[in-house]
Amino acid sequence: MFRIWRVLLLILSLAILSYARSSTGNSLLVVLDPSLSKDNYSIFFKGLEEQGYELTFRAPKDVTPAIIQDGIASFAHVILFTPETKTYAKDIVPQALVDLLSKNTNVIFALGSKQTPLTSLASEFSLILPPPGTPLISHFPERDTPATVVPIPVSFPSPALTSGLSPVWYSGIPFALGNNPLLVPFLNAPSESFAADTTEDSGADAIVDAAERGGEGLWAGKDMSVVTGFQTIDGGRALFVGGIELFSDEFAKKEVTKGVKSGNAQFARDVAAWTFQESLVLRVDGSTHHKVNETQPGDKYTTNDHVVYSTHISKYNPTTCTWEPFSGLTDMQLEFTMLDPHIRTSLPPVQGKPGEYSVTFRIPDRHGVFKFVVDYKRKGWTHLHSSTTVPVVPPRHDEYPRFLSAAWPYYVGAISTSAGFVIFSVLWLAGDDRGSRRRKGAKAE
Amino acid sequence: MAGPKASTAASKPASSAVDPNAIHSLWKAYNDTTPSRLKLIDSFLVFLMLSGIAQFLYCILITNFPFNAFLAGFGSCVGQFVLTASLRTQVNPENRGEFKDVSPERAFADFALGSIVLHFFVFNFLG
Amino acid sequence: MRLLCCLPLLAAAAATVHASALTIQNARFTISSSDATQLRSEQLSLDSTSLPSLSLGSTDTLKLTFQVVEKDGGKGVQPHQTFLRFEANGEEGVQPVRVTSGGKAKFELNMAKPPTSLPPTSTSPVQVSLLLGSYKHSPASLPLFSLSIPPSAPVSPDSFAPLPEITHTFRPEQKVPPKFVSAVFSAIVIAPWVVLLGLWSTLRYSTPHLFSPHVLPFVSSLAAFEGLLLWYWIDLKLGQVLLYGALLGLVTVLTGKQALGAAGDWRVGKKQS
Repeated sequence: MFRIWRVLLLILSLAILSYARSSTGNSLLVVLDPSLSKDNYSIFFKGLEEQGYELTFRAPKDVTPAIIQDGIASFAHVILFTPETKTYAKDIVPQALVDLLSKNTNVIFALGSKQTPLTSLASEFSLILPPPGTPLISHFPERDTPATVVPIPVSFPSPALTSGLSPVWYSGIPFALGNNPLLVPFLNAPSESFAADTTEDSGADAIVDAAERGGEGLWAGKDMSVVTGFQTIDGGRALFVGGIELFSDEFAKKEVTKGVKSGNAQFARDVAAWTFQESLVLRVDGSTHHKVNETQPGDKYTTNDHVVYSTHISKYNPTTCTWEPFSGLTDMQLEFTMLDPHIRTSLPPVQGKPGEYSVTFRIPDRHGVFKFVVDYKRKGWTHLHSSTTVPVVPPRHDEYPRFLSAAWPYYVGAISTSAGFVIFSVLWLAGDDRGSRRRKGAKAE
Repeated sequence: MAGPKASTAASKPASSAVDPNAIHSLWKAYNDTTPSRLKLIDSFLVFLMLSGIAQFLYCILITNFPFNAFLAGFGSCVGQFVLTASLRTQVNPENRGEFKDVSPERAFADFALGSIVLHFFVFNFLG
Repeated sequence: MRLLCCLPLLAAAAATVHASALTIQNARFTISSSDATQLRSEQLSLDSTSLPSLSLGSTDTLKLTFQVVEKDGGKGVQPHQTFLRFEANGEEGVQPVRVTSGGKAKFELNMAKPPTSLPPTSTSPVQVSLLLGSYKHSPASLPLFSLSIPPSAPVSPDSFAPLPEITHTFRPEQKVPPKFVSAVFSAIVIAPWVVLLGLWSTLRYSTPHLFSPHVLPFVSSLAAFEGLLLWYWIDLKLGQVLLYGALLGLVTVLTGKQALGAAGDWRVGKKQS
């Protein structure tokens, strides 16, 4: 009887295990500052657990569990809910966090308005943070919350976010974004908001002074971001949130207008899903190339050949945890390069073949070692890269067109010379030497 | 053309001015003094020259594509002309002193071998 | 029950509603050129439904003066936030304006030295509005005017956007002349045969050895050689032609030796007789 229960339990746990939503794993380490209570973020953490993540909690100064053990990341994802922590155990250093990202581990950074190791790390990711102690303030719209608790409408059209989200309550710092294409902004500050450390109207002069002093200028307006992702070249994803309150139960339950709950819970789930590589995750299943009217890939191509290149793309579906063919990319491009791209053409999806993208083009009349290159980089989406090397050779000596009408006179000329030679030889050998002999004899006398 | 010049060298100084008479006498001297075997060669040389000129005109006036075919066709004429001309010099009785060791038969063997090799390259190149 | 719950909330909201809204008065703008001549100077009215359109040259200066006041009472105040917001094509720039404690404010925009807060502009005008925010008063966002300024340098496009297409320029196809022309020239190339045969026919040239068993094999093998080369041109591979050529060459050497030996004999023999 006991055995049966055990087996059932095992099956159940296996079922839960296989219910991991992320494409990279379900182990999740939450580094939580002791000053913060786990219960204040229960909606967010419960949501993650329901999705199948295995949460492990740890204080920043705890020694175990280590984030990197023997050079291998111990967890698939890390959440750093340590906005004001200044000292960590010695395994959590900025270099280790960067290491994690390069090992395809995903990290959520919650920043605060104090100067901490995380805020200095954030500037390495092209985030330009305001001076310490200057939170986001907005006097708009008129409301009953403090000026530092701001409802932010979700206006950024990111495919990672659920559409039609209610405004999100936010309390924290804004940051300017550097000119880095790897940044993926999810939530920008409202136009009317700005960063300031004054709590009185008399602080107005200080704001103008700060702006006039130059340097980074004023943190104001909708170019400031408050939630921004960063996707590394290798695919690891980081999320920077300027205020940890965004994830709190209090903000999740708080109404934005009467009767309308805030979008915090869903927004937090969406950005976590993006960070943990559930959404906007693509992969190249494979690519092939062959000559038109053939099916086998050529090991080399001749200049001016017409060639079909096709690639197969899959997208990760977090609800079924499977890779599904994906035909939704409309701006993919194929390059045919030898040092420089000789041809760059769009690689459109094939109608009726899910996940298939194909293009036919004529190989340039240049020979050399070429590459089919698909390099798809779009903000928020997994970077796709595929490169296939293929030699392009000139036609073989017997592959050129022959017996051209343009060359008839030359053919006729060559044949007529040969014929002339034969007839001349016949006449020469058949003729006798009498004439010359006679004349020669006459001369000799 | 090397042939007529060489064979009429003796009569040439007499008529330095170009007039129909001089040309006529030149022609007459050639006709009378040249063995028929050499005339056979000279006719062949004229033939080769004419077909070479025809191909050259086609190349200049109409098209030089495919150029390898032009080179082959025109080259066959020029090469055959050179080989034939050298055969002529070697069998010409007047040059006997110069080619003491080369019998006319040997000269023809050289000519035949050279021609075969030439035609091999011509057809190889004709495309 | 629900109503009861909401009542205290409503009361709290009512208590925190700020006493009075903010607005501006005596707003006035002046546009002057670089040599200080005044081009346009007007009172700004916030009530008018259509916003005035202003235009600035690349060296002109816009001066804007106004006073921030409470809507009821007209007392001048210094709000916490007095920002000019420039908005064009979705791009935004925010410029804080210094306000005295009496509410008086002055702003100058010199196009010769445009402030960094000015967003990148194209040909469409910049919408300028004033943001007033305060801890004590209701906030206000006041559209002021639209401003046409010279377009700024274009911003570099997003590096992750699709790249421009590249096409390869192929060498042009070789032009093939009409077949008729080629045929005519082929005829011209053949034409020298008429000359050749004509010249040969005028020769008094006898061919006594035409069918001599000594000569015939040699000329046949020479003809065979030419035939082989023609066949090579049409169909054969190099290896084949070299093999056949070597065999035929052997035969030709033998027949040639015989034929030329015979020819030599005829020559020498005739000479001796």
